[in-house]
Amino acid sequence: MAANPDLPTLAERLAAIVGASRVLARAGELRVYSADGLPGYDKRPALAVFPGSREEVVAVVRELAASAVPFVPRGAGTGLSGGALADDVVLLGLNRLKHILAVDVENALAVVEPGVVNATLSRAVAQHGLHYAPDPSSQTACTIGGNVAENAGGPHCLKYGVTTNHVVAITALLPDGEIVQLGNPAGESEGYDLVGAFVGSEGCFGVALDITVRLTRNPEAVRTLLADFGSIDSAAHAVSAIIASGIVPAALEMMDAATVRAVEASIYAAGYPVDAAAVLLVELDGSAAGLEVDVQTVDRLAREAGARTVRIARDEAERARLWQGRKKAFGAMGRISPHLVVQDAVVPRTQLPAVLALIHEIGERQRVKVCNVFHAGDGNLHPNIGYDANDSDEAARVHEAMREIMRACIAAGGTITGEHGVGLDKLPYMDELFSPESLQAMCALRDVFDPERRANPGKVVPVHACQEWGMGRRAEGGGTGRALRTGDRTPGTLPRAPLSVPGAGAGE
Amino acid sequence: MMAADLRPAAGELLPRSTCDVRERVREAAAQAMPLRIAGAGEWLDAGRPVRAHAMLSTRALAGVVKYVPGDLTLTVHAGTTLGEIAHATAAHGQWLTLDPYGGDGTLGAAVATASYGPLAHAFGTPRDLVLGLELVSGEGSIVRAGGRVVKNVAGFDLTRLLTGSWGTLGVITEITVRLRALPEVQTSLAIPAGERAGDIDALRRALSAAGILPLAAQAVDAACAARLELPRRTTLLLRLGGNAAHVRAERDRVRALGRAAEVPTATWELLRTLEPPPWRAAVLRLSQLASDFADTWRAAGTLVERWADAYRHGDPGRGMVRCVLPLGDAVDEGALASIIAAPFAGSCIVERMPPSLWSARPGAADDRLSRGIRNAYDPGQLLNPGILGAT
Repeated sequence: MAANPDLPTLAERLAAIVGASRVLARAGELRVYSADGLPGYDKRPALAVFPGSREEVVAVVRELAASAVPFVPRGAGTGLSGGALADDVVLLGLNRLKHILAVDVENALAVVEPGVVNATLSRAVAQHGLHYAPDPSSQTACTIGGNVAENAGGPHCLKYGVTTNHVVAITALLPDGEIVQLGNPAGESEGYDLVGAFVGSEGCFGVALDITVRLTRNPEAVRTLLADFGSIDSAAHAVSAIIASGIVPAALEMMDAATVRAVEASIYAAGYPVDAAAVLLVELDGSAAGLEVDVQTVDRLAREAGARTVRIARDEAERARLWQGRKKAFGAMGRISPHLVVQDAVVPRTQLPAVLALIHEIGERQRVKVCNVFHAGDGNLHPNIGYDANDSDEAARVHEAMREIMRACIAAGGTITGEHGVGLDKLPYMDELFSPESLQAMCALRDVFDPERRANPGKVVPVHACQEWGMGRRAEGGGTGRALRTGDRTPGTLPRAPLSVPGAGAGE
Repeated sequence: MMAADLRPAAGELLPRSTCDVRERVREAAAQAMPLRIAGAGEWLDAGRPVRAHAMLSTRALAGVVKYVPGDLTLTVHAGTTLGEIAHATAAHGQWLTLDPYGGDGTLGAAVATASYGPLAHAFGTPRDLVLGLELVSGEGSIVRAGGRVVKNVAGFDLTRLLTGSWGTLGVITEITVRLRALPEVQTSLAIPAGERAGDIDALRRALSAAGILPLAAQAVDAACAARLELPRRTTLLLRLGGNAAHVRAERDRVRALGRAAEVPTATWELLRTLEPPPWRAAVLRLSQLASDFADTWRAAGTLVERWADAYRHGDPGRGMVRCVLPLGDAVDEGALASIIAAPFAGSCIVERMPPSLWSARPGAADDRLSRGIRNAYDPGQLLNPGILGAT
């Protein structure tokens, strides 16, 4: 990029806004940002800029608009789809905007800047008996802005809904520098659900300057159960039985034998039975009076499906320990193999036993060890494979197994991502899930928010799907300045990166 | 599962498949002939007047596409009515927690208008219930959004965009929704409140402080209570549900707050359907933060006082009050216009009113983004033109 004559001047102009120390341009500094939580890719930003205030964000984005330079918004970089990677464009870090702007206890609302860490918000409102319900496993690091971009989930989304169910309003900065208010924080709004469209747009529609989220009252009572099984199949049937019973657990998570053993061998040991083929972690919450009946029902359904034991956490410490094992499972897996790839797919819940059996069969055939730790109650699978990326034969088999698993999930009536987003990593599967017309409808929406396609270029919708549509329609786009490199307008498909994911990813 | 009469009425297009819809839309596009999109025709009077040459009805596009009770999801053709869905799901002890006001409309219409009823208190609006849909855009493209699973972030969220778009971005042809198990036990209670706005608000705060989580909560004024065959006074209606132990405990807590009489569950169906028939009412929805509910309730009271036989009801937890103003044969449009234009600090959404009054209200989708989205999905302004205002 040093050959590009525009670059030093852009860096200088950005430094004039945010200060020289907040613009990174040297290769060594930028290397830190060459990956996100899914570091199988190595994409270097041309520059990285870290504004420290709302005003600075606006000024930076307007400077980028004036210069017609593409950019990639980034929160904590814990995403697992390569969505926050900047390939030779500007990386816009929003992690310094971390003020909680307002907390309205009576209405259970909070207004936050995009860089506020998920768990920080829940901690800040805990004194009022409130929490922020979406709880990705990376919640101690990931930001609300990033959660909004990805429409992030988490174990407790089974009962409480994902990010989009908790966002009331957004002040958004469009890629051209215009500030728009989406939604009404203090009442109903008419017209199109622009908040709903913005949440999950993976940084392609602009940047959230502030986000109004709904907080959730802490449940009166909580019970956490651990059931262990002699086979994965019986655990999967227990999940189906619990869901079909109509009880909505706050969370319903499954871990298989390999995951249990990895957790138990790590500092996150939770007391899971190491000889189990699978364990289920079931959390029930609600009014104290009604809870005991549900606990008994879940206990009975688990045993009928073949549970060897069902244990109920006696106190908050035991509950926290059971949960820590689950939330740090991917970290624990990192101890076992040099590299780890984590997948994210969803299937209808009655399909879980069949799909888990298929995944096992695919693993056997490809001679790779597939582990499963996932949000079973939502049917949201996270098959993961530990391997050695330096063994090219093994890496190829891992790659092929993942492809087959994704196809099996699609064939079962499922989808290719439940909470990690499409980013860069899932692009090849979009064609298998959606028709060209459906993909073009997505491109059309993106072009309303970002006609120049400068925000997070090349992500979410395959480039070729947008090319066709863009030819006939996009007349008013086109900035006046010179681009470092335009994203989606570059013809051709994105190169597929080699699959080598270092272990201990940042979570989901 | 189909509507009784499936012969098209005069000027009505009655497609029987998604491909049929696409053909009708393409023909309309070729002739630059705008279409009025309708379901069962229950809510045709809602929204702004539409300038259209023909009506395209989805009522013949009805029936279950896929229902696996164990998945707690249901896929239906858009013309399936909510009554038909309730019937199909009740057989498996499940329900779609969506109860918009008025007659037995189609799911397609409820989703297109993002309509909801009292159950939104606990379960949210169509935006929280719809998992995926299929639509035919104004250009005649068949687009699928979302899917049949309960969690899905594959691609941009067209499902939410289409929900509440009033048919202006596409004709919705198929919908997948999240279902829930019917509560083991349900009890409905009526708590009398004083006639000052602060009284009903005090109940709201007490309810919240006691940690009571009803399925639905509706404040009804004296006129509305009388129509519900309850004593003629301001009343808070609560619908409790869950397992027997939970409902028993909640009921005890409610009774600790004040005198609470049990009322039939059918009261909710009555509240839903007591509205005057189409064309016979103006309906306004006022909303602010829940903490401002006293003010919203009072403002709604001032409004309904000025119209004969008008009544108000609303969800204190959602900070929303609906004002229902019945219309007789002769409507004093000047008086009605002045009521609707009355200043209010929060959001005022008009669900329905006489067509002539709409021109005074700004469009609901006139911002740059909304115009751009409309133009991207329906560049010929073919679908329900005018229903959101200028756009």
